Amino acid sequence: MELPVIWANYISIGLFLALGVGVWSIPKSAVVPEEYAGETWRDLRWWATGLILFQIALYTFFR
Amino acid sequence: MHPIDLAVVVAYVALITFVGIRFAQRVKTAKDFFLAGRSLTWWVIGLSIIGTNVDTNGYIGASGNAYSIGIAQANFEWIGAIPAMIIAALIFIPLYWRAGVYSIPEYLGLRYNQAVRVVAAGIVVTVSVFAMGVAMWALAITLQTFIGWPIWLGILVSGTVVGLYSVAGGLGAVAVTDSIQVCIMFLCGLIIVGIGISDAGGSASFVAKLTAENPTHLQAYLPSDHESYPWHGVILGLGLVLSPAYWVGGQAILQRTLGAKTQWDASAGMMFAAVAKTFVPVLIVFPGLLALVMMAEIEYPDMALPWVIKNVLPVGVSGLMFVAIIAALQSSIDSSINSTALIITRDIRHVLMKNHNPESDLKIGRILTLALLLSAMCIAPYIGNLGGIFNFLQSLLSLFQGPMLALLLLGAMTKRATGTAGIITLVSGVLLAGILSWVVELNMLYVAFFTFCYAVPALWIISGFTKPHSDDHLRNLTYSPWANSNANKPSAV
Repeated sequence: MELPVIWANYISIGLFLALGVGVWSIPKSAVVPEEYAGETWRDLRWWATGLILFQIALYTFFR
Repeated sequence: MHPIDLAVVVAYVALITFVGIRFAQRVKTAKDFFLAGRSLTWWVIGLSIIGTNVDTNGYIGASGNAYSIGIAQANFEWIGAIPAMIIAALIFIPLYWRAGVYSIPEYLGLRYNQAVRVVAAGIVVTVSVFAMGVAMWALAITLQTFIGWPIWLGILVSGTVVGLYSVAGGLGAVAVTDSIQVCIMFLCGLIIVGIGISDAGGSASFVAKLTAENPTHLQAYLPSDHESYPWHGVILGLGLVLSPAYWVGGQAILQRTLGAKTQWDASAGMMFAAVAKTFVPVLIVFPGLLALVMMAEIEYPDMALPWVIKNVLPVGVSGLMFVAIIAALQSSIDSSINSTALIITRDIRHVLMKNHNPESDLKIGRILTLALLLSAMCIAPYIGNLGGIFNFLQSLLSLFQGPMLALLLLGAMTKRATGTAGIITLVSGVLLAGILSWVVELNMLYVAFFTFCYAVPALWIISGFTKPHSDDHLRNLTYSPWANSNANKPSAV
C-alpha cells in the first residue's frame, strides 16, 4: 500500500520534533562554556529550537 | 555586457584580490595557512560554510530543477541539510575540536587506525580533484555565456584570481572572501525576489500564476513513483544518510570550524550557517519559479536563471548577479583547494613519509595549493567532452557516504568500534555500493541508504571480534556529555 505524499510532510515534521527532543537531552554544560553561563543567547540549544520550529512551519505550509 | 555591469565585475575582482592578499601578511605557519591560526569568529565561519556549500552547479542547476519540479528542490536546503547541521554543531564539531585535529581523516586515524585515515584521505582527494575541474569548467562556461570569453580565457582569469588569494592567504583569506561573496549572493537574491514579485503583481498574484498550470510546484514532496526525487528516497537517502555524511564528514565544509578561535565559535558558526541555509532557496529556487511565472521562453530548465538575469534585472544589478554566480564558484573552488592541500600534506604525506619535516608543511601546503589549482585548470577544458561527468561525480560520492557516515557515527557515539572493523567496513561498504550502483543500477539515494544500513551492523559485529582501543585513548574521541567527566565540557578559549 502506498502512503499519500502528504505523509512525507508528517514524517518530516515528526523527525524535526524528535530532533528537538534530542537537542534538549544534551546537558547545558556540554553546550555552553562556563565562562558564558549567564548569557542565554550563547545556549545553542535555543538556536537549534528556533531552526526546528521554522522548519516545521515550512513543512506545514508547503504541502 | 553593459559598461556599468562590467564596472561592477571589475570592482568585485579588485576587492576580492585586495582582501585576499592582505591576509597573506598574517600567514607565518602551517596552522595559519590551513586553520587561519585558529582565529575565525562564528559569523565568518557560518558565511564561509554557505559560500563553500553553494556552487554554480547548485546555483544554475537548482534554479533549473525548481523550474521543473518546484519548491521540492528546497528539500536539499531544508530536510536535506538542517537536521545534519544541527547535529554537526552540537555533537561532531565539539568532538573534532577537542581532538585537536586538522582534518576529518586525521580524526578517523585517531579513532580507528592509520589505514582508515589514508583510505579516507585518498577518497576525498580523488573526488576533490575532479570536482575542482568540474567547478572550473562551469565557471568558464558561465563567463562564456555572459560575456563571450573563450573557455581558455575564463579558466586562466578565474584560476589566477582564486590562486592569488588561496595560495597566499590560506584558509583565513578563503573564509573572509567567502563571507563577502555570500553577502553579495544574498543581496542579489533579495533584489530578484523584490523585482520578481513586484513584476508579477504581488505575492498572491505570483502564487496564483505559478500554481495555475503547475499545481504541485508549491508542494514540498513529489510522489513515490517520481523518477529522480521520490519522497521516501529523499527522506531516507538524502535526509538520513547523504546529508549527515556531507555535514559531519565534509572536509571543505568543516575545515573553517576547525579554524575557529573557540569551540563555541566553531559550533555557533555551523548553527549560523544553518540559519542562512534555511533561506538559500530564495537564491537558488525562486529564480526558477519566477521564470515559470513570467512564462520564460527557454530551451531547457537550466536556462531559467540566465533568463531571469537577462530579462528581469536592471543594468548594474545584472552585473552584480553575474558577480554572485562567479562568487559562488570561486568560494567552492578555493575551499576545495585549501582542504585538499591540507589532506595531502598531513593525512597522506605525514603517514606515508615517516621522515617528513613538519616545519616544511607551510611550504608544501602552498606548493600543493598551486599544483592543485593548475591541475584543475588543466582538467577543466576537457570536462565538457566527458559528457555526464558531474552526474558521475555525484554517483561516485554516494558510493562512499554510507560507509563513511557509519564510521563517523559509531566512532563518535560508541567505544565499541575498532580499527580493524573500521577498515574492513569501509572497503566492503564501498564495494557493495559499487555493485548496487553499477550492477543493480539503483538510484544513488537508495545506494547511500542501503550501504549505510549494511555498514552500521557490519562495523558493530566485526568490532565484537577485534581488539578495541583503551578507554583512556577514546576519552576525547567519543561523545558522552552525560558521563561525569570534564572531557566533554566546552571551553571558551
